[in-house]
Amino acid sequence: MKRTTLMAAGLAIGFASIATAQERPDTLAALGPPPIPADNPMSPEKIALGEKLFFDPILSGNNAMPCSACHLPENGWAVQDKISFGYPGTTHWRNSQTIINSAYYGKLFWAGSSKSLEGQARSAARGGVAGNGEDDMMEARLAFVPEYREAFREVFGDDWPSIRHAYMAIAAYERTLVQTDTPFDNYMNGDDAALDDQQKRGLELFTGKANCAACHNGAMLTNEAYYNLGVPPYDGWEEDPIAQITFRFELMAKGVTEKMYRSTKDDPGLYFRTKQASDKGKFRVPSLRYTKYTYPYMHNGMLETLRDVVVFYNEGGGENEFSDNKSDMIQPLGLNDDEIDDIVAFIESLSGDEILPAEPEIPEMQPLPLAQN
Amino acid sequence: MILRTLALSALLMGSSAMAQEAVTPEPPMDVKPAQAELGKRLFYDTRLSGDTNLSCASCHHPDKAFSDGEALSQAYTGAAHFRNSPTLANVGFRDAWLHDGKLGTNLNDVTREMITETFLMNMDMRIMQDRLKQDPKYVEMFDAAGYGEPSNGGARNALQAFQKTIQSRNAPVDTGAMSASAQRGQGIFEGKGNCASCHSGVRYTDDQPYNTGVGDNPDIWSDPMRHSAFVTYAKFMGVPNYMNLREDLGAFVRTHQPETRRSFLTPSLRELTYTAPYMHNGTMATLQEVVDFYDAGGGDDPLKDARLKPLGLVPSEKADLLAFLEALSGESFDTDAYVWREDDYDYQLIENWRDVPN
Repeated sequence: MKRTTLMAAGLAIGFASIATAQERPDTLAALGPPPIPADNPMSPEKIALGEKLFFDPILSGNNAMPCSACHLPENGWAVQDKISFGYPGTTHWRNSQTIINSAYYGKLFWAGSSKSLEGQARSAARGGVAGNGEDDMMEARLAFVPEYREAFREVFGDDWPSIRHAYMAIAAYERTLVQTDTPFDNYMNGDDAALDDQQKRGLELFTGKANCAACHNGAMLTNEAYYNLGVPPYDGWEEDPIAQITFRFELMAKGVTEKMYRSTKDDPGLYFRTKQASDKGKFRVPSLRYTKYTYPYMHNGMLETLRDVVVFYNEGGGENEFSDNKSDMIQPLGLNDDEIDDIVAFIESLSGDEILPAEPEIPEMQPLPLAQN
Repeated sequence: MILRTLALSALLMGSSAMAQEAVTPEPPMDVKPAQAELGKRLFYDTRLSGDTNLSCASCHHPDKAFSDGEALSQAYTGAAHFRNSPTLANVGFRDAWLHDGKLGTNLNDVTREMITETFLMNMDMRIMQDRLKQDPKYVEMFDAAGYGEPSNGGARNALQAFQKTIQSRNAPVDTGAMSASAQRGQGIFEGKGNCASCHSGVRYTDDQPYNTGVGDNPDIWSDPMRHSAFVTYAKFMGVPNYMNLREDLGAFVRTHQPETRRSFLTPSLRELTYTAPYMHNGTMATLQEVVDFYDAGGGDDPLKDARLKPLGLVPSEKADLLAFLEALSGESFDTDAYVWREDDYDYQLIENWRDVPN
């Protein structure tokens, strides 16, 4: 955080000649480069390997579900549907989150169950309603791809590709999927013209009357804390038998009491990690970056547009079965229609151009020549 | 009225009642009909695999005595198997399972392994359990079977019950309807051919592993899908140098004893006419080839069992032996007693979801 602030300050000095007296909110910041963990340094070769693996179905149970199956570049690197696709024969139970800027999060997944991108990649590849892969099998398959044998040897010194290293390479690639030149970033870095008047009014409301910045603050516009806002439960649980199956499976798999398994009808969120009743229905505050492309919104996609989200807050949030835990900060805001539009316009300034790189060519499994080592 | 009740109970008894009328190698196993009936439905249900593409019956076809007719079995989507799918005839009587005898406990463990193994059905059983609960027919059948609500354990028990009903019926060797040639062949089987040395007992197997020198199946190593499944298995079983193996080490994967390399369980000879091709890796297309193989003293392997010697069978003796082997096959399992005919595999929405317990 400190590093980002310093950098923003440095850039601001660079722009001093064109900067005017307009004040920047001190609760928000431009986005700097992502943190790189010391135990997984970046290199061009590692990133290139991770890019291939991200799009390669080899890292799944049926050799058909790459990371990109549920994090589609043309869908904002997410899924533009309430709930993510899930493994064939299943459906998922939460909204797919964008990969863009995921590098900055301290914890991954809606309830923060993963401590790193590396861990997230592994969990997603193995989860029964996600990749449904098994590490031994996925690792065995990697060894049959000549390009991977060579790349894992070069990047990690592996005799044979290691599945742990595959997750590290994917994480390295994901750390390149960042966007630091949004209109908002340019504005924070000193370009007064980067936001239009409506967006500036929205920013004012965002940090002021609407109090969004109480939680959506810092360079990522999230404090990464967990709250219950009273988001209504996913309606698919009332309409889709396969969604009902997944919901019960998740309750069982994530470890709840028999009583809770029988009676719970909504996603308990953070409770799964802490097993504290006061954490039921809490989810991590998401970044608002790149949200122009990541509709619908909330952990279960129950709000369709950014405007719906702002209206939801303006009305003081909603109700769900865990409403005892609803945050006191969520109160009716008294915004008029113009003010709502202004905030939406500001939020849109947190997204730059759509990131749509050409997808890499995926190498194929080949018969394995004897005595590779 | 009494007659109608009798007819109805015969229907309800299902496969085990019918099996009792047939001549079987051993007395039918003690199986509750409602449990076997549930197991039968589960056996043909693709929702027991991760991506809902495979059922048990995908590799165990009833018209092939529950084998699949392939040299090497298919496997889970995106993978392929490195061994031949074995018959399930009399499977409940076995002492060990899988060609290498990896499982020597019970059918429950075999069933679980098939469902959960990543290159077989790749099923997270917790998801399976909740799938079963979403099918009203299962809710009813589990209850009728005495298992309560649908569960993993109940499903495995029911699948065991069904498998225990799969028993050879009315094979000429059991009914006494063998031809003269087959009867002569039996003499060779027990005498000159020495087949009964390993193919002993009423199932014609001692359930023990031996090296007979069956040749390698190169299709395992030329197909990365098969080979990578093999690597996964060998790695999991702790086989040294698994990446550089180009042979199936058989019982060695569990014993880690060098002298057991390339030894495989003696297969039952029951229902052979339905289960071509033969051997653990399907490398022999016909029974004639198998007879010729043993007549020649088996294959070429330094660890080959010492009892395998050239037999010196003349063509008429081979023909008789073949006739006997064919007399070990009974009636087809492609009947209502062993096949779930209805395509009634549906999930049903729980309409009042909010108001009922999960």
